[in-house]
Amino acid sequence: MTTVEPTGGYAKPSRLGGVLRAWTTGWDWRRVVLVALVLMLVYQVIVPFGMIAWTSFKTARPGDPAFLSLDFTLANYVRAFAQPRFWAATWNTLAFSFASTILAFAIGAFLAWAIERTNTPLARLIGILLIGRIIIPGILITISWILIASPNIGILNHLGLALFGVRNIFNVYSFWGMVWVHSIEMVPLTYLLLAAAFQAMDPSLEEASTMTGAGIWRTFRRISMPLALPAAGAALLLLFITTIETFEVPLLMGGRAGIRVYATEIFFNTSRTPTDWGISATYAMAMTVMSIALLVFYFRLIRHSERYQTVTGKGYRPRRIDLGRWKWLTCGLALFLVFLITGVPFLMMLYVSFLPVYLPPSIRAFESMSLENYRTLFSDPAEALIPMWNSTLLGLGTATVTVLVVAAIAYYVHKTKVPGRKALDFLAFSSIALPSVVLGAAFLWFYLLVPLPIIGTLTIIGLAYLTKYMPFALRFVSSSMVQIHSELEEAAQVAGVPWWKNFLFIFLPLLKPGLLAAWFWVMVHAYRELTVALMLARSQNRTASVVIYYLWENGSFMQLSAFGVLIFILLIALVTLSHWIGKRYGVKEQY
Amino acid sequence: MIRVENLRKSFETKSETVHAIDGVSFEVAAGEMVTLLGPSGCGKTTTLRCVAGLERPTGGRIVVGDQAVVNMDKGLFVPPHLRNLGMVFQSYAIWPHMTVFENVAYALEGRKIAKADAKKLTMEALETVQLAGHADRPAPRLSGGQQQRVAIARAIVGKPQALLFDEPLSNLDAKLRVEMRTELRRLQKQIGLTSIYVTHDQAEALAISDWIIVMKDGKIVERGRPTQIYRYPENVFTAQFIGTTNLIPGTVTSVDGEQVGVETAHGAFVGIDKTKRVRAGDKVVLSIRPEDLIAGGNGSNKLEGRLDFAIFAGAAVEAEIACGDLKLFCLMGRDAPMTPGVPVNLSFAGDAAVVLPRE
Repeated sequence: MTTVEPTGGYAKPSRLGGVLRAWTTGWDWRRVVLVALVLMLVYQVIVPFGMIAWTSFKTARPGDPAFLSLDFTLANYVRAFAQPRFWAATWNTLAFSFASTILAFAIGAFLAWAIERTNTPLARLIGILLIGRIIIPGILITISWILIASPNIGILNHLGLALFGVRNIFNVYSFWGMVWVHSIEMVPLTYLLLAAAFQAMDPSLEEASTMTGAGIWRTFRRISMPLALPAAGAALLLLFITTIETFEVPLLMGGRAGIRVYATEIFFNTSRTPTDWGISATYAMAMTVMSIALLVFYFRLIRHSERYQTVTGKGYRPRRIDLGRWKWLTCGLALFLVFLITGVPFLMMLYVSFLPVYLPPSIRAFESMSLENYRTLFSDPAEALIPMWNSTLLGLGTATVTVLVVAAIAYYVHKTKVPGRKALDFLAFSSIALPSVVLGAAFLWFYLLVPLPIIGTLTIIGLAYLTKYMPFALRFVSSSMVQIHSELEEAAQVAGVPWWKNFLFIFLPLLKPGLLAAWFWVMVHAYRELTVALMLARSQNRTASVVIYYLWENGSFMQLSAFGVLIFILLIALVTLSHWIGKRYGVKEQY
Repeated sequence: MIRVENLRKSFETKSETVHAIDGVSFEVAAGEMVTLLGPSGCGKTTTLRCVAGLERPTGGRIVVGDQAVVNMDKGLFVPPHLRNLGMVFQSYAIWPHMTVFENVAYALEGRKIAKADAKKLTMEALETVQLAGHADRPAPRLSGGQQQRVAIARAIVGKPQALLFDEPLSNLDAKLRVEMRTELRRLQKQIGLTSIYVTHDQAEALAISDWIIVMKDGKIVERGRPTQIYRYPENVFTAQFIGTTNLIPGTVTSVDGEQVGVETAHGAFVGIDKTKRVRAGDKVVLSIRPEDLIAGGNGSNKLEGRLDFAIFAGAAVEAEIACGDLKLFCLMGRDAPMTPGVPVNLSFAGDAAVVLPRE
């Protein structure tokens, strides 16, 4: 029989003493798994952080014996701070992030409001199309906008020339071009963040204002807006943090626009030979510090917003604002925006994928259409099929491993009293502060140092993805773990069921919605990821996004578009299949 | 005064039209408290929200005071903020970003009142609900009961034409709920505001109202004073929904004014029908409240049975008596024997057995 004893319930003279005693008085598998998890997290999260920090204080390069010595120097920082280039990158990163955040927020807030809070027609469809966009890889969105608004070849500029006789009205290779494309790309995320906030708001707070005689405007100004402020602030900060580490737009457009940000500086510094390790690490440190500072601010804001949660009884009745005739205007505007966000990249890709040479739409262009590009892709498996297979493996593998690890972490953190569980939570979450490009560099450098032959394999990318996606998956799983009442487990314990059976047969089935949501999220994001995959790419482990980048570099827009369409179809199939499986096994829709 | 006439509200779903309110009419006299009572989904909250203006009815008229606020035939719909009503919400709806004082004072912002006067009125309202000492506290720091008082102060501070209560006590714990309903009743009498109160809790409705309107499936089933509706319900739904009751089915044998003779499988009884609806030969049920079934009493109707099961409930013994296949629930003295199988002779007075047409 298994004895079930409450762990960690001992008197604690001091924190450390308590931890030590609790650790030495008992020995069971639960603790073994916990130790394994802690070690794994230290290896996956602390080591990359340390790798970057260590390198930034070294003038010796990894591999040099002096690199492992304990004499540190600030020489790299002195060198970086003296370069105008560093300050230009700092300024560009901040300005680009700030402008994109504001624009994405404005568009996303309008869409979330129209879809969630008003009687705009087709709201559900618009919402689905918006969220559906998330599966299109970012690099394809960037490329499609370049094909639309770049000087000389852009469709809009052709139209401008034909209609008004003006050459190159739009230039996507500019600060505002970059801001526009990146904002458009972030709108679905903004929508998700704000829709959740809108749904969580008790409509009777506004109704109470109306009943006191306040009109729509005063209610909005004095009640709705102040109440939405913490959520809006959190969304803005999260968007800002996301933009700081964004890579696709600066990589593809920043060069010609002459706008270099931290992410591209680090990428070009590390991919150039000989690599200037010190400077790269210093930029990476600057980027990480910026991101940590914003995150600290973000978490303070969220904690503060908990005070705004009011005690409420039964669920809120959905209350939508009746817009009257204006609803057709909001519907039209929302549809137009969704067309820009989801329709444009897809249609653009579909169009170009049938062309033998790139042409703006014309009769001649349509006459020249064929399936040649698709045929070329399939003729060489190394070109398209293997990378696609790589991405699929990475997506499925990363999602499965991450979700399992995260479920175990969430179990320890929320459902046991084992000492050290707080550290687990913190470790698993802290990697959110590592920008992708820094993460990629850290993994690359670490495995150059350590004699493990995984550079150039999918394993190294998968390991980096585990670190990258753990915090997000943890959020999904933790929130459903918290909802499972401890009494359910206690009932099983009283019945004499060992803890691992509890975990397998009580928690996992009840957690299914959270686990599947996390799995989906990780799968789709790992599939479309570019930054880390590109940093770690060798000839054998190219992913779909990486191949798109190389095709872009070679100027093969047409094959690239065909490849994009294939990826799109494959992802839709994957998502539909998983969705169907989820539904089959009784999981409710998340959105 | 509030008058609701032939109020209708329907929703279109994919397959059918649902009538949430189906022709509801009632009147609330000045200074009175009327309760809309019914199970969830009966349309009581929707009716209240139509009066408030938070919901747009499909048809009907509503008059508040001397102002017509809804007349769907003429397309008249006064928006809620122009109706001068006070409302207390189920979720309290206290604004978490304001202090107690600010929450209440907000209700005066739209009116042209000097700052000093507004402050005085706000403090008066807070004193009425005994929260003057908490004026500067952030509202979310208050307990549930205190938040509810803030909501009431906010609803009354602007001297509205009428007060609307949407299940205001259902989020409080049982003990506080009983306290608050007494206090609410006292307060309503004291300020003499015309009020509509929505609840699904029959005990609350009985305690708090001048009049009770029982609703079911979007229609009014019955209306009456609390005592009247409890003692002489006019249909089986009301008898069962309000309080606990025993139902004995039977057939009318004789009618003599309000006195009705009923033949049942358990004997012939005399009951009362205040509405004088039933005729000889009608299929009816007798409704007898547990407290009117007296063990060993000398009421005109008698029944013999055996104690099936009993629990001690402090003030009384709650017992289930089996009379053949009939189970009767009754309250016995707290010293009554509780051994199962004991024979019990029950009796009830003729005016305690209400004769109701079978549904």
